[in-house]
Amino acid sequence: MKRELWNQDWFGPFAVTVLAIVIVGALKPSFLSPFNIQILLLAISVNALVAFSQMVIIAIGQMNLSVGAIGGLAAISFAGMMEVWGLPWPVAAVLSLGIGLLAGLTNGLLCAYTGISAFVITLATLSVFKGFNLGITEAQPFYDVPEMVKWLGNATVLGPIPWLVLPFAVSAVALWYLLFRLPLGRSVLAVGGNTHAAELSGISVPRIVVFAHSVSGLLAAMAGIMLVARLQLGQPSIGDDWLILSFAAPIIGGAVLTGGRVSVGGTCCGVAIVAIITQVLVLFNIDPFLVQVVLGGLILWAVGVNRIREVRGQRKAAAAGI
Amino acid sequence: MSGIEIDSAAVPEAAPKQGRQLGPLQRFMLSNEFGLIVLIVVFAVVFWTVSPMFLSKFSLYALGRTSAVNIMIGFSMMVVIVTGGLNLAVGAIGVCAAMACGWLMQAAGMNWVFATLGGLAVGGLLGAVNGVVIVRSGLHSFVITLATMSIMFGMMIFLTQAESYREISPVFTGFGRMKLWGVVPPMLLMTIVVGVLLWVLFTFGSLGRQILAAGANPAAAELSGINVGNMVIWCHALSGMLAGIAGFMLVSRTGAAIPSMAGQLGQDWLLPAFLAPVLGGTLLTGGRVSVLGTLLGGFLVTMLTGGLLLMQVGAFWIQTYLGLLLLLAVLLDLARRSYLARNKLV
Amino acid sequence: MKAPVFEAGNVTKVFPGVLALDEVNLKLASGSIHALLGENGAGKSTLIKIMTGVHRPDGGVMKIDGQPFSPHTTRDAISSGVGVVYQERNLIPQFSIAENIFLERLSAKPLQRIDYPALYADAQKWLDLLEIDARPETQVDKLNVARMQLVEIAKALSLNTRILLLDEPTASLTQHETETLFGILNRLRENGASLVFVSHKLEEVQEICDRVTVLRDGRNACESRALHGLDRQDIVRLMIGRSEQIPQWNQRDISGDKVALDIRNVATQDGHRDINFQLGKGEVLGLYGLVGSGRTELAKALIGAGNVTSGEIRIDGEIAKIGSVADALHQYGIGYVSEDRKGEGLILIHSVLENAGITVWKRLKNAFGLLSDRAVVNSVDPVLKKLEVRTPSSRQIVGNLSGGNQQKVSVAKWLAANVKILIVDEPTVGVDIKTKAYVHELIRELADSGTSILLITSDMPEMVTVADRILVMDEFELRGEIVNDRNYDLVSERIMHHIHGSNEEAAE
Repeated sequence: MKRELWNQDWFGPFAVTVLAIVIVGALKPSFLSPFNIQILLLAISVNALVAFSQMVIIAIGQMNLSVGAIGGLAAISFAGMMEVWGLPWPVAAVLSLGIGLLAGLTNGLLCAYTGISAFVITLATLSVFKGFNLGITEAQPFYDVPEMVKWLGNATVLGPIPWLVLPFAVSAVALWYLLFRLPLGRSVLAVGGNTHAAELSGISVPRIVVFAHSVSGLLAAMAGIMLVARLQLGQPSIGDDWLILSFAAPIIGGAVLTGGRVSVGGTCCGVAIVAIITQVLVLFNIDPFLVQVVLGGLILWAVGVNRIREVRGQRKAAAAGI
Repeated sequence: MSGIEIDSAAVPEAAPKQGRQLGPLQRFMLSNEFGLIVLIVVFAVVFWTVSPMFLSKFSLYALGRTSAVNIMIGFSMMVVIVTGGLNLAVGAIGVCAAMACGWLMQAAGMNWVFATLGGLAVGGLLGAVNGVVIVRSGLHSFVITLATMSIMFGMMIFLTQAESYREISPVFTGFGRMKLWGVVPPMLLMTIVVGVLLWVLFTFGSLGRQILAAGANPAAAELSGINVGNMVIWCHALSGMLAGIAGFMLVSRTGAAIPSMAGQLGQDWLLPAFLAPVLGGTLLTGGRVSVLGTLLGGFLVTMLTGGLLLMQVGAFWIQTYLGLLLLLAVLLDLARRSYLARNKLV
Repeated sequence: MKAPVFEAGNVTKVFPGVLALDEVNLKLASGSIHALLGENGAGKSTLIKIMTGVHRPDGGVMKIDGQPFSPHTTRDAISSGVGVVYQERNLIPQFSIAENIFLERLSAKPLQRIDYPALYADAQKWLDLLEIDARPETQVDKLNVARMQLVEIAKALSLNTRILLLDEPTASLTQHETETLFGILNRLRENGASLVFVSHKLEEVQEICDRVTVLRDGRNACESRALHGLDRQDIVRLMIGRSEQIPQWNQRDISGDKVALDIRNVATQDGHRDINFQLGKGEVLGLYGLVGSGRTELAKALIGAGNVTSGEIRIDGEIAKIGSVADALHQYGIGYVSEDRKGEGLILIHSVLENAGITVWKRLKNAFGLLSDRAVVNSVDPVLKKLEVRTPSSRQIVGNLSGGNQQKVSVAKWLAANVKILIVDEPTVGVDIKTKAYVHELIRELADSGTSILLITSDMPEMVTVADRILVMDEFELRGEIVNDRNYDLVSERIMHHIHGSNEEAAE
């Protein structure tokens, strides 16, 4: 735990984030205007939950292609339950979170007990969940979102800090506490680090896999619900563009795709970096289409850096012989 | 846990694990391909009973055209799966190649032959880039192609400004509308020809066998004088070209090169791309391939989609059925394999 | 003998088609280090897996302190005080030493906050006890192999383990690390622990153990006998059922033969320095070295799978430029039979024909790059016949063949390619005695027919039986060369002298 600051997983991405804020702020003072900060925080809050959803699965060394589909399904369920059934928004939100949890649970059970790769399972369920979404909405949005929800999606608590930061901050702290302080979360990382050893130490691997996928589903659903509040309507296309982002942020944050190593702080910085870059493209009138190019480039850069660090670490260990 | 692992040396020399000997016919009847043929026949009968329209000339023609594209997309993924990797960028590359082809025809005013060759080269090149980055970095193809699908698609949208190319050569569009003997689309024949070529490559080609060896066990292949890195690059280049061909087929069918023809980042191709080879029994861990299986798998998927639409189950639910189909297929395959293993029929 | 801590009576285990254990008995006393010996496949690992709850016995009883003991899972075994340190690492690389030691304890209470300071303090006690010179918060992937092993021992001991099984614990340790480990094991013995030591290295067994149980073909060849008074020959006789026979093969005259492979001042990226040797045509040159001494790495560098950084390789007198395995094979006719048959030697999911033919595809393809099966069969079949590969057909999946037949296939592919120089790396690991003798004869036959062979092995009897000359490698350097006069005691003593002698010099 008492590693040097610059050796911490989150330090690199954090330094980049600070540097980016300073440089962009100096070049374009409007970047640091309260309004712009609010926009940034809104984007970060939702995207961070998307990234966390994938991060939990990366922690066990798997992947979840259905993050976006779960988020979209929860989003339209949330909006639909309010519009069609007239449910009060807290009830609709809890039920939609339940749907996300259930979707994640399904993924987890299939991955844990069939032995089929998570890639194939979640590709299939991606299609199933997306199909539910389209079947229910017939590709038409739900427009009738209660004022309270609309207000929560855009109002600020204090200065430029929007209400939506709250669920993000709570999940971040909770996830950190889970993964780095509770044995349950340590078991998640242990399974990702060395499945066989975890099993021999009495950890029930299938249960941990199911747990991780359930958490992932829950987080994706939360992101979907928050997006409904922010967009002020239940778009069926919510979640369609989450795939790249969900991997980019954890990887930028130092996560290793083979499992066992993720960083909550790093992932947050990864999300922030992506949000800042997107903003910069807008502020400097650069073609917004290039966002995709930059995102892909960031992933390549980050996996490259992680890889170099890994190789160096091994070499150092071999040389020092400790 | 290694429940039934025993020392290989503990197995007596004189008892090779060999079950009953099977004739070629029995062997075929236990194969995945035979199962697919049965399914295709069964579903064809079901759809025809429910709606005789299913076997109408028009319906069969449409089925042929769509399946040609889906099978081609499946081939494009298949040739990467055999190396034990995967290519998330099939859709992105396919669209890039098609857009390049469209640009060459419309903006550069090229003749369709050169435009096609140019588009094919773009597809192959983008695929090769994937391969080179994967081999050089030593990272898994999943994360590399995830990144490159975003980069390639983004670059394409940036360069085209999300505009379609509609001045497509009449030869091209004519090809898409042509009917042979009233029902057969030439596209399907083209797909079958590509399938035969791939089959020859993997069955008789020295390169194909080296690819399979490299996919099944890279370390052993490398120590037997096979350049595994080159094999991976070849496969990705081939995958890019096949994705390009699938893109051209869509262009010739719709008469325009449209940036959104494969959805956001080309993601819409992912499901058919995996469905066909997985249904067809191509091993996801690499080293084993079934071209015929992929062809039948792609056909089955298209037929089911078409049939369900015809039965008016609601176009919006199709995706759910396809997802369930993929799940069912992998679970059935699991059951089949464990049955064969239990009865020592493999 | 005191009342045994652990007792196994008539334990039997049947796997489909194989009687892995046939009424095996074992008694362990407290304060003792018990050697469990046997050839590969004799049933040692099956017995260990039954004791640790991985497998369940089909017959017989086990008792701990006289109470019946029948573990269903590894967890049951652990809670009864039976722990194991396997050869492969069973640690979570990204976790700290302390967390790894207490992983079992942590997972019992999933929702109770981990008290890290207390965890580190507890772990420190175990580190002190085992004299592990590292901080408890260090991540284990930053440790070397020896310390990881000690952490595993600490992990096992922290669970109140009274019976600790050590599976080949010294396999990847240096001499010095082994001595440290033995010091610790001795101390544990004095504290009353009951240790089971599984090893192939009989010298080590004689140094550290006090009792011995030998398994042969799944049966007790001897049971819980005092080691005192047994010499190496006795133990070997128990293990293989007869005395260690060194077939007295006649000395071959190799002096007049031409040099096939000439290595001059070769250095590699792996750390080899000043490697010089010559391999004559039709000669069997042995390369002796322990695991980790750099033998396999040298072989791989020579066939183009590693990097030669300086020096000269001459083949038939000509300077060779080997850039890849393909170069080595197709231009210079060098082949390499890997020690890791399943990982590097064979493609288990492919057929015998594909495996044996992999080296000839490039040669046999036509102008269009196509191959005819008949051409491949023609060049592979004679070899398969010559090696007497037993398979229903050449279409059989290699993974379904027995170990010995698999080994033959991994040799066959090089013979099909007509290599002139064959590097054979530990060819008899994991094969039974009959096949072993067959492999030895095969190597000899190949050499007689003009193939030059570099035989890498750490099996001393094998070396003395087969090699004409022996090179000794240690710490990536060649320590000496011995002409093999087939006198086992003399030759093995000289080999050991080259290794230990150099260690002593290095220590000065």
